[in-house]
Amino acid sequence: MTRAALAAALVLSLVTAAVAGGGAAPRPGGTLRMVFVSDPPTLDPAHATDLTSSAVIRQVFDALLELDDTLVPAPALAERWTISADQRTYTFHLRRGAKFHNGREVRAADVKYSFERAARGKRPWVFEKLVGARDFIKGATAEIPGVRAVDDATVELRLDRPFAPFLHLVAYDAASIVPREEADKRGAGFASHPVGTGAFRFGSWRRDDQVVLERFAEHFRGPAHVERVVFRVIPAEATRFNEYAAGQLDVSDIPTGRCQAVQADPKLKGDVGIWPTLGTSALRFNVERAPFTDVRVRRAIAHAIDPSIIVERLLERCVTPASGIVPPVLSGWTATAKRLPLDRERARKLLADAGFPGGRGLGTLAYHFNTSDANQRIAELLQAQLKEIGVALELRRLDWAAHIKLVDDGSAGFFRQGWIADYPDPENFLTVLFHSRNVGAPGNTSRYRNVAVDRLLDEADTMAPGPERMKRYQAAEQMIVDDAVWISLYHYASRGLIKPQVKGLERSPQSTAPEFLAPLRKVWLER
Amino acid sequence: MGLLRPIASRLAALVPVVLGITILVFALNAIALGDPARAAMGQRADPETLERVRREYALDRPLPVQYVAWLARLARGDLGESFREQRPVGDVLVERLPATAQLAIAATLISIVLGVAIGALAAVRAGSALDHVLMALAVLGISTPVFWLGMMLALVFAVTLGWLPVSGYGDGALRHLILPAFTLGALHTGTVARMTRSSLLEVVRQDFMATARAKGLSEWAVLGKHALRNALVPVITVIGIGLADLLVGAPLTETVFAWPGVGRLLVAAVGQRDLPVVMGAVLLFALVYVLGNLLVDLAYLAIDPRMRDAARA
Repeated sequence: MTRAALAAALVLSLVTAAVAGGGAAPRPGGTLRMVFVSDPPTLDPAHATDLTSSAVIRQVFDALLELDDTLVPAPALAERWTISADQRTYTFHLRRGAKFHNGREVRAADVKYSFERAARGKRPWVFEKLVGARDFIKGATAEIPGVRAVDDATVELRLDRPFAPFLHLVAYDAASIVPREEADKRGAGFASHPVGTGAFRFGSWRRDDQVVLERFAEHFRGPAHVERVVFRVIPAEATRFNEYAAGQLDVSDIPTGRCQAVQADPKLKGDVGIWPTLGTSALRFNVERAPFTDVRVRRAIAHAIDPSIIVERLLERCVTPASGIVPPVLSGWTATAKRLPLDRERARKLLADAGFPGGRGLGTLAYHFNTSDANQRIAELLQAQLKEIGVALELRRLDWAAHIKLVDDGSAGFFRQGWIADYPDPENFLTVLFHSRNVGAPGNTSRYRNVAVDRLLDEADTMAPGPERMKRYQAAEQMIVDDAVWISLYHYASRGLIKPQVKGLERSPQSTAPEFLAPLRKVWLER
Repeated sequence: MGLLRPIASRLAALVPVVLGITILVFALNAIALGDPARAAMGQRADPETLERVRREYALDRPLPVQYVAWLARLARGDLGESFREQRPVGDVLVERLPATAQLAIAATLISIVLGVAIGALAAVRAGSALDHVLMALAVLGISTPVFWLGMMLALVFAVTLGWLPVSGYGDGALRHLILPAFTLGALHTGTVARMTRSSLLEVVRQDFMATARAKGLSEWAVLGKHALRNALVPVITVIGIGLADLLVGAPLTETVFAWPGVGRLLVAAVGQRDLPVVMGAVLLFALVYVLGNLLVDLAYLAIDPRMRDAARA
């Protein structure tokens, strides 16, 4: 071969490789190896309350709808739907021929069964908007009249009043469709051996070790690319990282404090995936507890806190600074809220106006947070920042179960509690967290009661989607920020290591970690 | 036959001990903040559902009533149902028991074999450089935190050399057991080694050793046949105490190596306030500890005839 021919051959092979790489068609086969921090408590959609459980449930089950990669409701078991003019009746037309893993076809009666079963589970709020659901949830009635199987392939859902994000509830994993015969046969055992319609069927589960899912060849969308998904359960962060480094995991998390280090590491930087998610880290006040009953005290503290140091130094710029409450990454949302800026002079003046000049008379204030390295460092930083205006903080560190108890029952006056969206709508932040109807454990742990905010939220929740609705949420958000019942620190980000051969893993704002919520049927492995 | 009575009396003495432990754990849980129903609900808890779950878990009843109900079920061999997994606690424990048992047995064997060997070697070469090195290693083994040692072993033998898996139970193959067993065993190997050495040196000074030597036995035969047997009594005590080390070390070792055992289960259950699992796991650990010490007592009887006579008397 002459030199020119050799060069030509080389160029040709490079071009071919580039074309093959660029247009790479998904190759079927292989095992996708993911990892969880803890064992899922359950694989039953009616009983799950945590992201780990949901991560598996999303693969094994389908709901009537799903969210596409831009978080817009899209067809799943329902192939199309109509909404009545009064926004209260939703009619879903089921896809023909969709099968459960046991081979039986999905019918409208399964939807009614599944919704009623789950409404008496751990997340009844998903169904409470349906006509008659509240009585059913309490056990006063035998069915939810708002769910009706019109015929084998049509389901009608009726709401008490319009609810703009309703399609998100229909797409939520609590609303997964389960086969009655399997759920009845297995009883509580359904949680350890789930049967759904999902792209993956349940394979095996050794507790605290691994969950294995197998491709379901008869899935209504056709078989998934990968043959098997293994979720290892590895509690220690360093061990997960070692397994990833040893090539035993395809996806893992970035260890605490290593966010910049992995991006500088020549072997790892290509694997780093960081994207903003629908969550906000925040401090909250219980406004029923002195001295936080006084808005001036709350504002003084808000003006004394500089979250940019937390974002820049503690979290290595791997999260997004927050101005308001609702993350800007929410589609259709324009972030307009202005936070109370760092202004120590103003903070001191507010404190003096409230009768605590230089912090005198306040005593030591307790700040409650749940155990984690990051939370501890943030707490110490807050302590230092508030000292500058004369406010002394005492750090109260408790594990999650104890922390949430003090937060719920109102014993904590100043505490860390963020929020991760259940579904992508401002209602899921503002109404859940600040409407007076939700005071306490349902979400409004600030115990904030503001008639004007309630009114704006009530209007927006029942309005048709569109900019007018968003304007009301924006107005309410600014009022809440100005009342300083909540101080946003930053918006969460998903921070993961993903091997380059993993293709098609969705990085949506709802995936708070790479292993959560992304539909794994879209993933393939390049080999 | 004569041994039956001491065994029976020791077993009978266990009942109040174990009962006391369960009362203590139950009371601690009452003092501990946190509501199991709330802990199971995630971020967003519907008050009516919380009430319903509390009723389902029988948490709405007074604590003494809850405890007595738990005891009554226990008497029927029923440990209740896990709040978190909604399955019988017996099942939850039984499926994790083999992993913990393998780990504990392997770690104990390692600590006995290595510990006695190192201790004996050090005693034979007492005062030499080898003795000092071995004893320094023993102290290192005792004082190295389990978590750190586990990470280091994994880093060297799994990540760098690639000889062994980083973590996990795998298919139950031996290669998965090696690193966790050495990690958990290291702590105790040091204690056993030090006790073997000092105990051997103690025995060597006694008169019957001179007799043995006078019979013309070789030094190794003197040590192996006469000294070691006599020196083992305190060593066995240490092995018995070592069970406690195992129980303390197991949750950490299981966490570092993602080993699906009872220790990790207990830690998670405490975090979730999954009281039935906490009670079940503590009961299991208490039984293992108490029975382990009973075995140690029996081992004394087997080794030392004087104690046998004392027990019969």
